[in-house]
Amino acid sequence: MAVAARGRLGRNRLYLAGLSPAAFLLALFFVGPALWAIGSSFTNRALVGLDAANPRFVGLDNYARLFSDPDFGRVILNSVIFVIGSAIIGQFVLGLLLALLLDYAQRRGFLATSLVYAAVLLAWVNPTIIAGFLWVAMFDFYNGSLNAGLHVVGAPPVNWLGQGPMLAVIIANTWRGTAFTMLIFLGALRTIPSDIYEAARVDGASAFRRFWDHTLPILRPIAALTLLSVTMATFGTFILIQTLTNGGPAFQTEVIALYAFHEAFQNHAVGYGSTISVVMLALNLAFAVVFLRWSRARA
Amino acid sequence: MTAVTAATGRTTVDELARRATTEPPPRPKARAGPLEWILVHIAFLVVVAFFLVPFLWLLSAAFDAKASAYIQFPVEPTIMNFVKIFTEHDFARVLANSVFVAVATMILVVFTVSLAGYSLSRLDLRRKDWITYAVLLLQTMPISATMVPIYGLARQLGLRNSYLGLILIHAAIELPFLIWLMKGFFDSIPRHLEEAAWLDGRSKFRALIEIVLPLARPGLGIAAGLAFLSAWAEVLMVIILIDQDNLKTVPLAFYEAMRTQGGYTEVQYGVIAAMAVIYLLPVMVVFFAARRLMVRGLMSSTRGL
Repeated sequence: MAVAARGRLGRNRLYLAGLSPAAFLLALFFVGPALWAIGSSFTNRALVGLDAANPRFVGLDNYARLFSDPDFGRVILNSVIFVIGSAIIGQFVLGLLLALLLDYAQRRGFLATSLVYAAVLLAWVNPTIIAGFLWVAMFDFYNGSLNAGLHVVGAPPVNWLGQGPMLAVIIANTWRGTAFTMLIFLGALRTIPSDIYEAARVDGASAFRRFWDHTLPILRPIAALTLLSVTMATFGTFILIQTLTNGGPAFQTEVIALYAFHEAFQNHAVGYGSTISVVMLALNLAFAVVFLRWSRARA
Repeated sequence: MTAVTAATGRTTVDELARRATTEPPPRPKARAGPLEWILVHIAFLVVVAFFLVPFLWLLSAAFDAKASAYIQFPVEPTIMNFVKIFTEHDFARVLANSVFVAVATMILVVFTVSLAGYSLSRLDLRRKDWITYAVLLLQTMPISATMVPIYGLARQLGLRNSYLGLILIHAAIELPFLIWLMKGFFDSIPRHLEEAAWLDGRSKFRALIEIVLPLARPGLGIAAGLAFLSAWAEVLMVIILIDQDNLKTVPLAFYEAMRTQGGYTEVQYGVIAAMAVIYLLPVMVVFFAARRLMVRGLMSSTRGL
């Protein structure tokens, strides 16, 4: 008994040692930066100059400034619009529709289904910065494919990045991220045996009825989880918007991650940039805790 | 034991991802009428156009001496864009740098997650699911939120403009998911195999290397592939950590080319497109060779880039 207990403790010590390299890296680059941000948010740390070498403690000044900063209000509003537009309306709704379409087509044995599936996935697996570049070209005012397409149908060209920058970044992010939602729902839909639909059809149930009775109950439990997942991912969007509009013009697409970056590296206010990072981390943590609770409840 | 699934946001998501990518689609039963066929295929056409046109443009622009934002068959088909990036943008060095960083990250990740995944799987603590929970929580931290502090921290630790810093960070980014993934693989390997090896007089470490790891080879393959790809594609950390020309990697060269060659008026689309094609190449190879694994890996990271 005692021997067994000691064996267990000894082994546990070894296992904890085995965890230590990973724990070290995670502490250094996840926990470390979070603490560093909290520490810096109480200082006037700068990127260059005297305050870079000797940051001064300024208490809650940065937070007071942040919450009375009209720019920050705008940034939060932009972030919310961007998340609602590209995560909830764009990726979630389009992804759900695509999953239903592909599942339906598969059950009908349409061969082109896998091509469509691959096309959606392709947009998602490529590095985000390439997505940014591709859409810079798509949105180009004079020659871009979108305006060329509008010309074909007789519509006037649109100055996408100049006049409707928020819509433009929402379109680009929807293009890039729809595959995630589609895959989740497709996975769920695959669990429904075709026989159920056939039986319902034989019983004379309408297409709507079949969807309502057999499809929806399968989708509903994971919908909230998926929604939260895409919201979290979209909330952190940086490089796509940076390459497309860099937050502009006139602050119209400045979301929270860009604001932290610009304050720290363009205005050289690292302390203030850290404060924004802290707020971003706190919001993300709140999302994540809810997310993990929900998925624990489902498991 | 539900500890595996208890704290996992992943199981639900990962299980669905696995199903969407591995299970064969349901067998078709009823035949489709012609109207149905036409409607579905019209929808297909719209979807494929939306998702593929940007890529078609990329390919045509990379091989066109007169590339513009306009999508067209190359006006002057050429491979000069590719030659140019090697002669004018020192792309050979950039490529070598990127391969070095990605391979080193891959090796570090495989070593770290083998140890950590195995240890976490075998650890016998009452509150073990808290560790799993903490790992998952870290996984949801967007690196765009820690960009500023990581810059500051790396500067104080002397990790800027050093591949050591870049490799450590790239490895750390992938760790939470891969630890969790590898733990799953090790959980499925029966303990009596290694216990028999201990009785034979092997040390715990040798038993891990000689008995357990060979059985976890598929998992190690996934971890290696995902670590390589993520380090290859990751751009945020490179932007904030590297500003010396001779240390540039592909994402940074691409980012800079976009900014300097890419004013809104005189964009050198051909050259940047050629870079993008090379940047994309390894991603595409993995995508077509191991789509399922890649998809599962990507689905697990909710971090926005």
